[in-house]
Amino acid sequence: MWASARVAVGLPATRMGRVRRAFSVLVVCAVAAGCAQTKSFQTSRDFAPPQGGSRVLLMPPDIEISELTTAGLEEPNAAWTLAARSSLGVAMADVAAAHDMTLVPYRPREPEAAYDAAHLQTVMLHEAVGGAVLLHKYVEKLSLPTKKDIFDWSLGEGAAPLRSDYDADYALFTYFRESFASSGRVALIVVGAIFGVGVPGGRQVAFASLVDLRTGDIVWFNTLVTGGGDLRTVAGAGTALQSLLGELPL
Amino acid sequence: MRPAGRALALCVLLLAAGCAAQGDIQDIAPGEVPPLETDEAGLWMVMDRAEQRLRASGRVVEDPALKGYVRGVVCDLSPDYCDDIRVYIVRAAEFNASMAPNGTLHVWTGLLLRVQNEAQLAFVLGHELVHYQRRHTLKRWRTVRNTTDSLVFFNFALAGAGVGILAPLVQLAALGGVLSYSRDQEREADELGFASMSAAGYEPKEAQKLWDMLLAEREASADPDRDIFFSTHPGEKERSESLAKLAAEVDGRSYQVRREPLLAVTLPHHDGWLHDELQRRDYGRFEVMLDYLQEAGEETGLLLFYRGEMHRLRGAEDDDAKALQAYRDAIATGKAPPEAQRALGLLYWRQGRNDDARTAFEKYLVLDPAAEDRAMIEHYLRQL
Repeated sequence: MWASARVAVGLPATRMGRVRRAFSVLVVCAVAAGCAQTKSFQTSRDFAPPQGGSRVLLMPPDIEISELTTAGLEEPNAAWTLAARSSLGVAMADVAAAHDMTLVPYRPREPEAAYDAAHLQTVMLHEAVGGAVLLHKYVEKLSLPTKKDIFDWSLGEGAAPLRSDYDADYALFTYFRESFASSGRVALIVVGAIFGVGVPGGRQVAFASLVDLRTGDIVWFNTLVTGGGDLRTVAGAGTALQSLLGELPL
Repeated sequence: MRPAGRALALCVLLLAAGCAAQGDIQDIAPGEVPPLETDEAGLWMVMDRAEQRLRASGRVVEDPALKGYVRGVVCDLSPDYCDDIRVYIVRAAEFNASMAPNGTLHVWTGLLLRVQNEAQLAFVLGHELVHYQRRHTLKRWRTVRNTTDSLVFFNFALAGAGVGILAPLVQLAALGGVLSYSRDQEREADELGFASMSAAGYEPKEAQKLWDMLLAEREASADPDRDIFFSTHPGEKERSESLAKLAAEVDGRSYQVRREPLLAVTLPHHDGWLHDELQRRDYGRFEVMLDYLQEAGEETGLLLFYRGEMHRLRGAEDDDAKALQAYRDAIATGKAPPEAQRALGLLYWRQGRNDDARTAFEKYLVLDPAAEDRAMIEHYLRQL
């Protein structure tokens, strides 16, 4: 049932698996370092935001907040995810105020659907390209010889439907995963400490991707990995967004 | 040895506790949505997203007649839950169906190609509905969570007792526990699904027939372990026997099989679905599936054509001759697809029978003047 559902969904599951794998490598680095880490790239193509501010289409953030079971499985939590969605929404307004930009919220025509049918392919294309960026720019072993010193990933014409429908200069895609240790996990961390075994607790990983809707180019890309934080609160969401989007080149 | 013995006893206790905690999960009520703060709501959230992705995947068959028919069978079996279940026909070879905790029911086209009548389809759908009603995913998730939770502390305890070497054995035992739990769920789904299909008036013997058919296919497969359905539905012969036993127990009233309503909505798709199956290049299994389809008697022209395709693609000893025979038989029925002439042409050409090849190619273009590969065939004709 569960497993075969994943099989049926097929491609997207595989793609997300790749994103997760790339992230798990990053998480190990961050937990070892014990602090928030960001690493950003800016396009090596021409990049000039319009004078007098940009209109930025804010795509619905991809959020999943989980509880870390004693054994380290992630149990998705719907209430926490909802709380994070709302606090990230509030905190995003502060980010916009700090930059020369106007946020345009993405509003699907049917409230039930996450995206309009006309935009789904763009979203999935971005997921594929963004996944490639994570793999080949952030995992050193998988870096591509031809893209070593350049950053020129692009959705090409694939981004056009968003530009025409929202009259925006850029689209901002964001992805957040956060987990909190359950009481059992906390106990295990304590027991582990007694036995001299390091047991990892909760973590926060995120990425942001700014797409130029005229060219389809990913003009800026940033990742955030940290062992702490709390996206469920406005303050925690603000801290995360400050790290993730503080350097947004707009 | 003593600490190890004690440790194992503790483990068994912990695992038993994990399973015992499952007993008090009630069936889901019609229209029930889990409260936001529960683990079940988390599972629904993940599956809601998977559902969005499935819709965008381009693999959902949007045929209102077909979808409406399958949905109708679901609602006849379980009118109370009709509004909670969302049916998706997924274009995929192989026999498979799956039920997600949020009510998304995936039915693969490979399944719709194989079921011989509505009774067999009703058995599968009834089985999947049990997974939903009995909250099987939630129960399994909790079992996995509890089992792994127990194991972690247990591994520390073993290490503390100086017998950490036993940890892999304990893990294996726990994994076995989770797997047998999942088999128990399949057994329950079989039994209750069977009950709901026979209560709805479908011929109970069809459940075992379907199962035996799938087993026969699997035995003929070149790679039985790759089988998606059997990897999640273990049980094999035992299951066929228990279905036979169940069928023997039901009373002697008259039951229906209902073949025509199923064929009315599936036959228009058979050509494409057979093509999907053939592309898996598992010829042994494909042949058994064809045998079963042909036994039923309809669409012989199409089935003979695909039998020819199977031989032509396999290309083992005698296959060319068998392919030739199958194409000729297909054409003789007067209902073969135009591609049979094309395939015949290719075979003749390979055998150096250029005149026969030319005739076949020309017939192909007459039968299908707008063929996508017309230019290619005309090129062949110039070369012959």
